[in-house]
Amino acid sequence: MKTVVVTGATSGIGLAACRELAKLGYGIIGVGRNADRCAGTAEALQGEFPEASIAYFCADLSRQAEVLRVGREIRSHVEEKCEGKLRALVSNAGGVRSYYTTTEDGYETVFALNHLAGFLLSHALLPCLKAGGGRLLVTSSASHKGTRVNWRDIMFRRRYNPLAVYKQSKLLNALFAFGFRDRFSGLGVSAACVDPGLVRTEIGLKDTGGLVKFVWGLRMKRGVEPEVPARAFARLIDAEEPPRALYYRGAKPARHSRQVNRKNADRLWNLSEQLSGAHREEAKT
Amino acid sequence: MTVMITGAAGGLGRAFAMECAARGHDLLLTDLSAEGLGRVSQGIRRLYGVRVFEKSCDITDERAVDELIAYANGAGLRLDMLLNVAGLDREGGFLERGFGDISAILRVNVEATLRVTHRALSLRRADGRFHIVFVSSLASMYPMPLKATYAASKRFLLDFSIALGRELERENVSVLALCPGGMPTRDDCIRAIEAQGFWGRATTTALETVTRRTIAKALRGKKVYVPGAVNLLFSILGKVVPPLAVAKLVYRRWSSVQKKLA
Repeated sequence: MKTVVVTGATSGIGLAACRELAKLGYGIIGVGRNADRCAGTAEALQGEFPEASIAYFCADLSRQAEVLRVGREIRSHVEEKCEGKLRALVSNAGGVRSYYTTTEDGYETVFALNHLAGFLLSHALLPCLKAGGGRLLVTSSASHKGTRVNWRDIMFRRRYNPLAVYKQSKLLNALFAFGFRDRFSGLGVSAACVDPGLVRTEIGLKDTGGLVKFVWGLRMKRGVEPEVPARAFARLIDAEEPPRALYYRGAKPARHSRQVNRKNADRLWNLSEQLSGAHREEAKT
Repeated sequence: MTVMITGAAGGLGRAFAMECAARGHDLLLTDLSAEGLGRVSQGIRRLYGVRVFEKSCDITDERAVDELIAYANGAGLRLDMLLNVAGLDREGGFLERGFGDISAILRVNVEATLRVTHRALSLRRADGRFHIVFVSSLASMYPMPLKATYAASKRFLLDFSIALGRELERENVSVLALCPGGMPTRDDCIRAIEAQGFWGRATTTALETVTRRTIAKALRGKKVYVPGAVNLLFSILGKVVPPLAVAKLVYRRWSSVQKKLA
């Protein structure tokens, strides 16, 4: 049996992806922020798929200490129960904030959660991905287009604009997948990002308010159900061949922004290593 | 330039630390939580590469503050600025709280803050200018039923700050009282702001703007800073509307907000 790790797995696209993958017979390791929701989701999925192996881990991924802890826990779980092999990591957890807030590490919350958490977790799980010839899939979005990385103020301390911050975070997701591919595809680990399209999820309603909530409420009505992108994730994971393209819209290769290039990817990679300490030993053990 | 910040692992303290580090200042950080302090210090070092000295300290404890000052002296630190951020806010009626909670507000917001200020002044440079910031609150502008102790403690800081500023002028020390409304420091604060509806949002000021302007104003020697136009208007109203009438209004508002949050 093959196993996948999905973050942001208690609602929206993450939850739907877990369901599609369980349907195909994959073992599911879900990560969610809320302990009650994790337990409830695990129970519901197990009820739906009595044969499947389903485990949920609770972690607030905006906090680096929590990412490292849950990474260690998942690794020992995978080593114990899944021969140390992972088929995929779906780095999907993400959010929006109406205001500039900092995590306990002092970093802007959306930057820390949407980008840095996936970066650090992928490093923690790299041995399992290598052993399983795995693939990393990152939930990006078409909103990564029409923006640039704000290198001078990547955490938006100067002028916080929820939409600009979110758009940048999705561009960072694509750059992260680019950098990951460059570094690890030679080791048998591939990477791609998926644009799920406009999906009816609650991402814009959690921990936001005012305008963000209002606009998202309007947009949500036009979105597709989360099952649609979930099937794309399942197809990319289940395919024999690892994903060839970097950027998919649904399960089809699509064009990404010209900002997604090696120069930006390398710059982001170095900054992310510096900010997360992912290249240091403590992150690996 | 070296800046000392109390309550540095909390929402506002963290944001101040990031602002100062972005300006290239070295930091002496303290907080009750050693763990939180370690995390934020690591983040600052990684992001900005400034020197960060950290020592956890219960500032209500005389001896712990002695140790903190000894630590700073041992490290050969001389301070240019002190940001008194550490503070307690426990809402609720006077009788709904144990007296322990109430005296804790006074101990931290007033007594400990003054203790730290008194001691930190001994660490200032002999030749340079020294800046002190007290984090007071918009709540200092009027009597606030259901937050009576908190608001009064912040009033103490506001009056004290203005008086101390005058007293220390000849010592080349400037003192600023920061009087912010609600700030979205954490996810639960955002939810609390939303619970207050329109007025919650209108009195809310962006954290990154408040921290940036506070430091700039402190360096320019300003005395009082009320962030946000709506808040400034409220603070002026607080001076002209009779306190009894304000108390009546505030009581009505907080009662309904608390019902919404419950």
